[in-house]
Amino acid sequence: MAPCVVLAVLGAWWTVAGLWPADDVTLSEAVATRNNAEALRLIRLGTNPNEPFRVRAGLLTSDYEVTVTPVEAAVGAQRADALRMLLANGATIDGNEMRVLRCYEEVRRDSGVRELLGESRAPDCDGVRLPVDRAAR
Amino acid sequence: MRRAGLAMLSTAMKPRAVAWLLSVLITLPLADSVFRIPIQVSDSLEAIVISTEYPTTSRLLADSIRFSPTTFRPMRFLQTRWLLAAAMSAGLTYNAMFRGVHVLLLVLLVVLFVLAVRVRGQTDLVAFAVALPILIGIHTFVAMLQEAFPVNHYAEVGVCVLAVLVLAQRPPRWFFAPLICLLLALALSVIESGAMVWVMVICCAAAGLRGITRTTVATTTALLAGYFVLRHALDIASPGIGGHGSGFGATFYSSEELAQRFGAHPLGLIAYNVAGGLASLLLSEPRQGVYSLAIAWRDGVVHPILAINLVSSLVTTALLVWYGIRHLRAGRASWSDRDRVFVAASGVMAVNAVLTAAYIKDEIISPGGLCYAVAAFIACAALLETLPRRALAASVAIAALLTLDAALWTFRAAGVQYVLRYAAFKTRNDWVEVLREDKRTDWPQDPRELAVTQRIRDEAIVRRVASPSFMPRWADRWWVE
Repeated sequence: MAPCVVLAVLGAWWTVAGLWPADDVTLSEAVATRNNAEALRLIRLGTNPNEPFRVRAGLLTSDYEVTVTPVEAAVGAQRADALRMLLANGATIDGNEMRVLRCYEEVRRDSGVRELLGESRAPDCDGVRLPVDRAAR
Repeated sequence: MRRAGLAMLSTAMKPRAVAWLLSVLITLPLADSVFRIPIQVSDSLEAIVISTEYPTTSRLLADSIRFSPTTFRPMRFLQTRWLLAAAMSAGLTYNAMFRGVHVLLLVLLVVLFVLAVRVRGQTDLVAFAVALPILIGIHTFVAMLQEAFPVNHYAEVGVCVLAVLVLAQRPPRWFFAPLICLLLALALSVIESGAMVWVMVICCAAAGLRGITRTTVATTTALLAGYFVLRHALDIASPGIGGHGSGFGATFYSSEELAQRFGAHPLGLIAYNVAGGLASLLLSEPRQGVYSLAIAWRDGVVHPILAINLVSSLVTTALLVWYGIRHLRAGRASWSDRDRVFVAASGVMAVNAVLTAAYIKDEIISPGGLCYAVAAFIACAALLETLPRRALAASVAIAALLTLDAALWTFRAAGVQYVLRYAAFKTRNDWVEVLREDKRTDWPQDPRELAVTQRIRDEAIVRRVASPSFMPRWADRWWVE
């Protein structure tokens, strides 16, 4: 009986304490974790999709947290769908940012993202600091 | 004398109460996880939109019987319409209404299972503690919870099938026949698998369960015959090979590929599918027609979930075979009530596999999965009863094997939570692709359709769910296939 009783006790605990509650994430974290719906909810609540936000370690980088814009997070997470959603909901990319993003895409290659960023030529990335470089921000 | 009777009643009540308690504690968080899954885009939205388009229910009914050349599912649209209206009048969100109904179906499945197995003493309680995780952990059960259309028809059929099994074990009453006819009519009007209700009636009657009388057999058979006549009159054909994608060996084929490969000579595939449907129930392999074992052999990698599913199912199925050989060979006349339930459940499993002739899908064999858990309870209780008569070493070995089996099934049952949370995350994200800001030209032109779509989308986006990125990383390998 023991396994079933353990499951029942866990069930009681999960009911009271809640199993895997929704995490509080920043807009960039939502994008980095493929959580487009949460990203859209945050934008609807007034979060600026052009502001940089903290992304905890382990999501875009292995062992340190970074502060990146949602668009940068979408490129880093190789999520063309997220990038498209952000652009359709107020995110903008200026010329300088575009170059950074295209260089970032060279490291985190994704054909869908590349297509959305336009231009098929390889960018000149000399001297460009990527958003997830430790000293980038 | 009276005191002895009360003591016996108390002895029986305690294990039964513990069984109910276990069921409640395990079902509560499951219900929470089911409720968190938003209404789906695929399969659900279309039915909801259609249901709102009609000015009257009778017009919807009249048209719904001709929506598809291969399906007859009028209740799919009618119940959707009624639930939308109920949500409006009760001031509930659509999500709360549809997900609430799904939770209700889950609760009914568990309640009917507890009623069907009838825990009577300590030994039964131990067997129940093995069988309940089997009920929840078997892959056909989660298939009834993950998706909805927007009400899960397979869960509705499962409820009806178990309800018949519960009634069949009771002394016959005048209202059983009309009630079972009603259950059959409801099941047949939501999905073709509803025929499993009739199969359960026939299997219970053949096994000699007293609650099913000749009247019930005759009326349900007449009802089923009427259903086929109606389908014929409406020119509704059965889906053949190529109506749906399905696997063969280590590969999943799309419906077109299947038709191209097997359409001219379908008998081999039909035999493969029926055998695969039964094997899926008994061994948890194949899934959707694809043998993960074949993939593991080809790639040289065995995922933990495959080993857990196979071992747990193998041990349980061996238990069922042992029970069948040990208890049924004496002949029908000498069968106990439990033997008869076992025979009925086994019969339903075997016939259910036939329904996978055109393609294999976990949902199709879900009534068989419910019966598998019922049969496992009976076999487990019988094996436990033999322990005092066995040598100590044999008893210890059997107890260890059952504990291992129970542990593996419990692990599978715990994984259902993860699978459901994953489904909630995926379903919520699917809504981002609906009514996209950058594709306003694709939005529905009809204001009513747009309003309904917008409302359900907004409800889904607002409902926060856990992201798999913040759930245990190991869970994918151990719980997701």
